[in-house]
Amino acid sequence: MAFLEITGLSKSFKDHEVIRDLSIDIEKGEFLVVCGPSGCGKTVLLRLIAGMMQPDAGDIAIDGRSVVDVNPEHRDVGMAFQNYALYPHMTAFENIASPLRSRHVTEAEVSTRVNETAHMLRIDHVLDHLPKALSQGQKQRTALARSLVGRPGVVLLDDPLRNVDAKIRYEMRFELPRVLRRYESTVVYVTQDYKEAMALGDRVAVLVDGAFRQVAAPHEIYDLPSTTRIARLFGDPPINLLPVRPMTGAAGTEMSLAGGTVRLPADRAAVAGRECTFGIRSENIVVSLEPSDGIPVTLDAVTPVNNRLVMLLRGNEGTELFASCPQGGPLDRLRGRAKAWATLDLAHAHFFDHGDGVRI
Amino acid sequence: MTTLDLNNVAKVYDGAEERAVDTLTMHIDDGEIVALLGSSGCGKTTTLRMVAGLESITEGEIRVGNRVVNTLRPSQRNVAMAFETYALYPPLRVRENIAFGLLRDRVATAEIEKQVKQIAGMLEITDLLERFPPSISGGAQQRVSLARALIRNASVYLLDEPMSQLEPQLRAVLRARIKHYLIAGKMTTVVVTHDQTEAIALADRIAVMEKGVLQQFATPHDLQEWPANLFVASFIGEPPMNLFPAVVHDGRIAVLNERQEVAFHVPLTASAATSKLGNGKRIMVGVRPHRIHLAPAGQAEGATLTGEVHSNHWLGDHCQVGFQVRGCFVIAVVGRDVPAPVGSQIPVAIPVEAVRVFDVESGAAIQHGLEPAASLVA
Repeated sequence: MAFLEITGLSKSFKDHEVIRDLSIDIEKGEFLVVCGPSGCGKTVLLRLIAGMMQPDAGDIAIDGRSVVDVNPEHRDVGMAFQNYALYPHMTAFENIASPLRSRHVTEAEVSTRVNETAHMLRIDHVLDHLPKALSQGQKQRTALARSLVGRPGVVLLDDPLRNVDAKIRYEMRFELPRVLRRYESTVVYVTQDYKEAMALGDRVAVLVDGAFRQVAAPHEIYDLPSTTRIARLFGDPPINLLPVRPMTGAAGTEMSLAGGTVRLPADRAAVAGRECTFGIRSENIVVSLEPSDGIPVTLDAVTPVNNRLVMLLRGNEGTELFASCPQGGPLDRLRGRAKAWATLDLAHAHFFDHGDGVRI
Repeated sequence: MTTLDLNNVAKVYDGAEERAVDTLTMHIDDGEIVALLGSSGCGKTTTLRMVAGLESITEGEIRVGNRVVNTLRPSQRNVAMAFETYALYPPLRVRENIAFGLLRDRVATAEIEKQVKQIAGMLEITDLLERFPPSISGGAQQRVSLARALIRNASVYLLDEPMSQLEPQLRAVLRARIKHYLIAGKMTTVVVTHDQTEAIALADRIAVMEKGVLQQFATPHDLQEWPANLFVASFIGEPPMNLFPAVVHDGRIAVLNERQEVAFHVPLTASAATSKLGNGKRIMVGVRPHRIHLAPAGQAEGATLTGEVHSNHWLGDHCQVGFQVRGCFVIAVVGRDVPAPVGSQIPVAIPVEAVRVFDVESGAAIQHGLEPAASLVA
């Protein structure tokens, strides 16, 4: 039995079904990231688990007990919000202590727990401050401390790093998993940022239009996306997706791509004769400025991104391809507008059905 | 199409004591793409608006080509601007908004059609051409504003936060297309942005500003490799530069942990050793995450330190590894196949040539010879 079990959950607002017959089992201590575009239903899902909204159908069980009819404060759940939602008239200490107040915890115990949680999140020196006197990062840590102080079985985090600056975001990305592991929390974490999802999640659940389209370890989602839609959500620049129709001839299975001809490995013969969408990530295209047996292209622009170079290539008939490589090679000095040759690493390429976008 | 020069330009708003922009001098080459980068209130947008003629110039001179434009009206300066707030004409269709400047310049109708089609395709707003601005999303309006500026035949192009409202996936695509468009048209361009990723991707050179003062004006490569001061070092780069307090001791740098104990040593580079780094001097040490090498356990070649892995974030084309070296937290960026499981001990090498040294009081870079900004942020 999993620690958090969601079964057949649905929720509509008027005629709009935001969560559709959604089911998932989350193990004790697991860090599950729910990732999807804005409006996909992520926040509604968290609110349903927290008890701030009632589902139209389905069940939520925590540690074997159905909680759909249980009040939020008795569900064994802690939640931190994107906008922090701190009480402005209370000190950081009182904000963190607030979940304990409704539970007849002694004053000494409150003090011990708040101090311990604050110490772990490195905000023990600002506990007597009001929220307005806290920095952005301290507010965020205060909200997080409040969600953890009651030692809830399930911690729900709604895009908590969205509004913090880059430095704090990185600090927290590295620190958060350690803190949560110490509390042995089962975590459901919501974000739109695929990098955050991959960095933090034991598993990532991709939520699109109210349903999970793929639930898997980060490397599986990245390396084996189940649809073109998911493939595009993970990766920067986005994966190249091109319509192709591979054909088998005397020379084996080949396809036309960006004005060149690409020979497919023998184990891909099954796609022959089929209308497909071919997918290849930018890092699996090698760009050479010397003539090679790759596809001749023009290198339109070189844009450095975080110690890598992202290159916009254009095939003879106008097809765009994005390639990328680490910095530190001959391409570093280019802005763009050069002749180049592109070699595709077909061992890391993907074929999807042209009609429904499902992986072949 | 032309050069742009700012000579000792300053801006003081009426009634303000602080200078919004302080004696800014920059030369921008014909066809060069320059980014003004900084956080809100640093003076970057004020600078752009002074170039456009939307803000008066308190001191100094701005030249577009050979012409001093200080007293010219915006319409006389031949600059094209994309506004952060879009500033589209609500009663005009998207198509008419984009073509507005060309109609005024009496460009032939067929030519306008062709150019609108091309730029709308590039910015992925072809489907919206017959719509009115209030009926399309903020991100789409932003692209219309950008199209309206880029389509014009101007001397200088001024883009104020041109991609702030776009989805991340589209941003990566448009950055490359726009850069190609600017290069192909040899367009002299100034982009204002708070996003260092955007600045690095687009610009030939970046002017980093803080509190009205230019901190460093250099290529993206030099800003990353040779930041002039601690502000630039921590503002540029993702993940941010690792920065550690340290003290000079017997020809070596002793890096301190949170408890002020010596966590590890780094040798001084030759140039640093001969500079003002006397024994006992307190400094800040910076190392970019991607310059740190992690070896698989057992293959400790060149590695002098041992790190305990806290987190290993696999991001598809690379990994970000967070580890502790005797109480000092370090982030390294490595390839996707370096094995560094959480909880393991891994050999770590910090190449001496990757170490940057900064003065604790002024924040200025010490050893690498680039001139720091005249006045530094405390």
